[in-house]
Amino acid sequence: MLRIECPCCGLRDHDEFRYGGDASVARPAHDDPDPEAWYRYVYIRTNPAGLHREFWQHVTGCRQWLVVERDTRNHAIASVDLARKSSARKSPARNPPA
Amino acid sequence: MASPDFSLSVADYPLIQVEAWDRTLGQFESSLSASLGTNLPGSVGETVHHKGLLVIRVAPRRLWLALDDGAQAPALAVDPDLGCSVSLDEGRMRFRMIGADIARVLSKCIAVDWRAPAAAPGRAVLTSLHHVPVLFLRTGETACELIVPRSFSRSLSDWIAGLN
Amino acid sequence: MSSNHKRLSMGGRIDREQPLEFIFDGRKLAGYRGDTLASALLANGIILVGRSFKYHRPRGIFSAGPEEPNALVTLGIAGRRQPNLPATTLELADGMVVESQNRWPSLAFDVQSVNGLLAPFLSAGFYYKTFMGPTRRAWMFYEHFIRKAAGLGRAGTDPDPDGYDVRHAFADVAIIGGGPAGLSAARAAAAAGAQVALIEQDFLLGGQLLAEPSDSAAAAWLRQAEAELESFETVTLMKRTTAFGTYDGNVIGLVEQRDPTNPAGEARQTLTILRARSIVFATGAIDRPMVFSNNDRPGVMLASAARTYLNRFAVLPGKKIIVATCNDGAWRAAFDLADAGAEVTVADLRAAPPAALAAEAARLGVVVRAATRIVDLRGGHAVSHATLIGPDGQSETACDLVCVSGGWSPTVHLTSHLGVKPQYRDDIGGFVPGAFPADRFGAGSMMGTYSTTDAIENGHRAGTEAASFCGKSAPAPTPTKLDLGETAAAPLREVLSAGRGKAFVDFQMDVTTGDIELAHREGYESVEHLKRYTTLGMGTDQGKTSNFPALAAMATLRNATIPETGATTFRPPYTPVAIGALAGRAIGHHFKPIRRTPMHDWHRANGAEMLEVGLWMRPYFYRQSGRDVNEAYVAEMQNVRQAAGLMDISTLGKIDVQGPDAAIFLDRVYANGFAKLPVGRARYGVMLRDDGIVFDDGTTTRLAENRFFMTTSTAKAADVLSRLEFLLDTAWPDLRVALTSVSDEWAAMSVAGPKSRAILAAMFPALDVSDDALPHMGLLESEWEGRALRILRLSYSGERAYEIYVGATAGEQLWSRLLEAGRPFDLKPYGVEALGALRVEKGHVAGAEIDGRTTLDDLGLGRMAGKRTGFVGEVLRRRPAFQAPDRQRLVGLECIEEGKRLRGGAILFLPGEKPYGHGRGRVTSVTFSPERGHYVGLALLAGDVATEGSEIVAVYPMKAETVRARVVSPVFLDPQGERLHG
Repeated sequence: MLRIECPCCGLRDHDEFRYGGDASVARPAHDDPDPEAWYRYVYIRTNPAGLHREFWQHVTGCRQWLVVERDTRNHAIASVDLARKSSARKSPARNPPA
Repeated sequence: MASPDFSLSVADYPLIQVEAWDRTLGQFESSLSASLGTNLPGSVGETVHHKGLLVIRVAPRRLWLALDDGAQAPALAVDPDLGCSVSLDEGRMRFRMIGADIARVLSKCIAVDWRAPAAAPGRAVLTSLHHVPVLFLRTGETACELIVPRSFSRSLSDWIAGLN
Repeated sequence: MSSNHKRLSMGGRIDREQPLEFIFDGRKLAGYRGDTLASALLANGIILVGRSFKYHRPRGIFSAGPEEPNALVTLGIAGRRQPNLPATTLELADGMVVESQNRWPSLAFDVQSVNGLLAPFLSAGFYYKTFMGPTRRAWMFYEHFIRKAAGLGRAGTDPDPDGYDVRHAFADVAIIGGGPAGLSAARAAAAAGAQVALIEQDFLLGGQLLAEPSDSAAAAWLRQAEAELESFETVTLMKRTTAFGTYDGNVIGLVEQRDPTNPAGEARQTLTILRARSIVFATGAIDRPMVFSNNDRPGVMLASAARTYLNRFAVLPGKKIIVATCNDGAWRAAFDLADAGAEVTVADLRAAPPAALAAEAARLGVVVRAATRIVDLRGGHAVSHATLIGPDGQSETACDLVCVSGGWSPTVHLTSHLGVKPQYRDDIGGFVPGAFPADRFGAGSMMGTYSTTDAIENGHRAGTEAASFCGKSAPAPTPTKLDLGETAAAPLREVLSAGRGKAFVDFQMDVTTGDIELAHREGYESVEHLKRYTTLGMGTDQGKTSNFPALAAMATLRNATIPETGATTFRPPYTPVAIGALAGRAIGHHFKPIRRTPMHDWHRANGAEMLEVGLWMRPYFYRQSGRDVNEAYVAEMQNVRQAAGLMDISTLGKIDVQGPDAAIFLDRVYANGFAKLPVGRARYGVMLRDDGIVFDDGTTTRLAENRFFMTTSTAKAADVLSRLEFLLDTAWPDLRVALTSVSDEWAAMSVAGPKSRAILAAMFPALDVSDDALPHMGLLESEWEGRALRILRLSYSGERAYEIYVGATAGEQLWSRLLEAGRPFDLKPYGVEALGALRVEKGHVAGAEIDGRTTLDDLGLGRMAGKRTGFVGEVLRRRPAFQAPDRQRLVGLECIEEGKRLRGGAILFLPGEKPYGHGRGRVTSVTFSPERGHYVGLALLAGDVATEGSEIVAVYPMKAETVRARVVSPVFLDPQGERLHG
């Protein structure tokens, strides 16, 4: 069983978490009208053999969404960070809220 | 087999949840700390007990304020520019569990290491019991509480009562 | 019966003060506390204990541990039957009932042993070659007979009356294996300050030390080690516990057998999920069999096992013994057996066994035959003669026990589970684990060091390092030494040339050298192919004794080295685990947790048939409404249309949405706009997924400028909250919005029907519920009995209706009071079947239509989004494929055949079209419509044929039904919506 070191709650079993998919794809801004951008975001994945950035939510814990770097070959987890921290670094928002 | 040295009692568990916005967490905390007259628990899983009120940090920006039996609710005014509050008076039940066999019984419920510092008396752990989110509160050497959603409480108390 | 006639009068680790009785194949036998079933059978002189899988050959006890391939038995009767348990690991208990397997009518006379004569037809690949391809029909015919003949024990069919437990555990250092290396590691790790779990599958600690005489220095060392470990509060000794698998995150799956002396009622098996920070593998090694003709005869036994039976269980399994070996270790067995009074001959492959051994042999009267190999055996139900070939040629020797030892195979299975590949070491002729990651360690013979002195020393080192990995480095005193004088083993690397009879490589799966030759001849040379082609290693013993000999045989055939030939990957479980243990307490009504609404007890007490909906228990219908569900739901829905009904809707997902940016947030997550929703008003909203498919629907009410009350469908409540949190945490962290599930806070009920307003007025005389004060989609907030009260005027049924929310603790009270207040108005409760029928009649979509494949346009809801932009799913919902003319969209269907009905799931075809394939669409929901007087339904039907008024055929192959229907508007009732205000 995968065990994930939640930055808030510590090392917890994977069944306390919900998987949220690839965290390396950039979500278009909410009002981005480009179908290509949305198509890439929703469907195009690299499927690497190696480190993979992915979203997990500590759903029966602090409910924070996390970005986990997991090696797909051996499930070794290289890093776990709050998604808010990591999205603050690369916010894609085109039109910031008023 | 001899029944374990362990007892369970179930009661309502009213609480107030307060939450800060991301960028105003500091201000929110100072203001809340001032109005409660106590320091706040610094990180998730820490608790502070003050004048009949248990303050539990359940998420980086979210706190639960739980009243001791018979204690007066604090007058809280949350500045909407800093955060918000929501009363959770009705939705949770408290399982009080006590007895010498508690660690053994609890090991059949939740994946929490009874001996770990994170589960020491005064600590809180958010975890799951039979897939249901619960809050584990360590209240003493051989005592703890589980705060569970009301709709699941009978199913979970049945589960615990059947343990040996 | 001379019970226990093979038992010695002294010695062993059995308790002669505690005799036990057990039953084997109907015979009452005796043993002692401290016996295994195998040792007790041997003590009673029972050699033949089972029949083999394919050829029904007689088989005996081969080993003294979990590697046992032959002596598999069925334990217990009725619901407690457990098949295929190795007799060698079953702790003897008083009253135990055991049966041998795979024999009929009796163990001694088995009619199917003629399978041996049919052997040419049962070789590797036989089933495939004979019955697949063009002769597949023949398989259909023969399968029944073949399956009946092959196989092992059969499980019981009665419910298992015993309990099982699952528990969670934690440790700094987990040590797997309680032999000298594991004991030493546990002591070192505990002394260093770590929390230690020592796991031992046996009911005694000691591992190979248990094979040493019970009055030896080894026994003294073991007593001291055990006492020392017991003195540590930080050490958990887990006996009778098998580590069956190691998993990511250093999680170890353990299954513990109940101590038979414990009181009944305790779980029969307990599954422990152990999370360790570091692991020491001290799993030992398994003696290697030898491959020669008829090497599977009862009376052939691993030399190490014979020594265990002698020294641990005080059983002398033979009087005239041949020890066939290639290494020093087996000589120790020969000496102990001779010392106990047996006549022993050692046949050693080596030309010149060590002089010291030869001298000791001479002292004990053991006959030594160097450069001698065993090639064949005689004897049916028990071995009687062995054929040996040596420098003096071939000779036959009478014997009643043949001990074999081909050297040690390290038990690397558990390390392999976590992806550490076994590596071949030529100097020891065996596989050891490859490089471990930083948090795993190995010690003792599983690392290929076979002396006890070394095991204790490197166990100590591994324990110290494992503790240090956890930050526990208090100095540990050096361990007490123990030298048993073992010398390096010279392992057997090749398969001995076989005689004329079958030479078995895998006893349990009945795989012979001939099968391996056949596989090689046909090109199945890779180990993985070999395994699958011959079924080698696929038995319940996972080939613990057969893997290496098979590999060696294939290497010889390919003229390759062993590493070139490869190694198989081991997967959990190491030994079989009962499904009951994996399930633990999550069975019966605890299979999944059950959610109850605040009104649950009222429903149960007042005639409700309950229905599981996801985790929720909901009233299906009320028995007083009709004799069965069909009669009841129609009566309940008619009462709603004519008077009023009361429905428990507490199961709806409820989310408190707050913050300065709450309106902006809702505007982005709903396909229809919420920013302009006035305070005190509710709106029906639909959410899409990013790919443009409808995600969920519900109503959201604006309680205040910056506060909303969202409801979701019952089924999607958790998914919706999680998704909204995802958007806030990952996509729009700048939005100041707080989301809190308040699903459990509120009891919710819907009063629906033309008399609903009058009922509300009677119930809440102090509240103004007039249409001016509480218009359609309006909100009224108040208090009731000290709890918050919210009344929303919303309709799902199409009738005038109100949703009443009250604090959960007052739910049942308000529910009963409402029914009382509503009695003069004929207010009656209704269940989910009527609820579903009402919404179908009204043409409202629900989970059957919002099925993860449909878009807003498919559901006829496109106008809700109109030309709005900037919401989730907006761009991809407009993709061309979603606009295709034959895309299925929502229609209504009316049954037009007298006496027939529509069914959900029926496939739609055009009249005259052959009913084949996926058709033009499908029926999603149906109900009898009292309004229309016949069955109506909602369907998704290809847009190019979905013309209102046209005819369609609904085919339901499950019941071979075909019914004609007319395509109509999905709104069967009150298309103008006048009843909402009625």
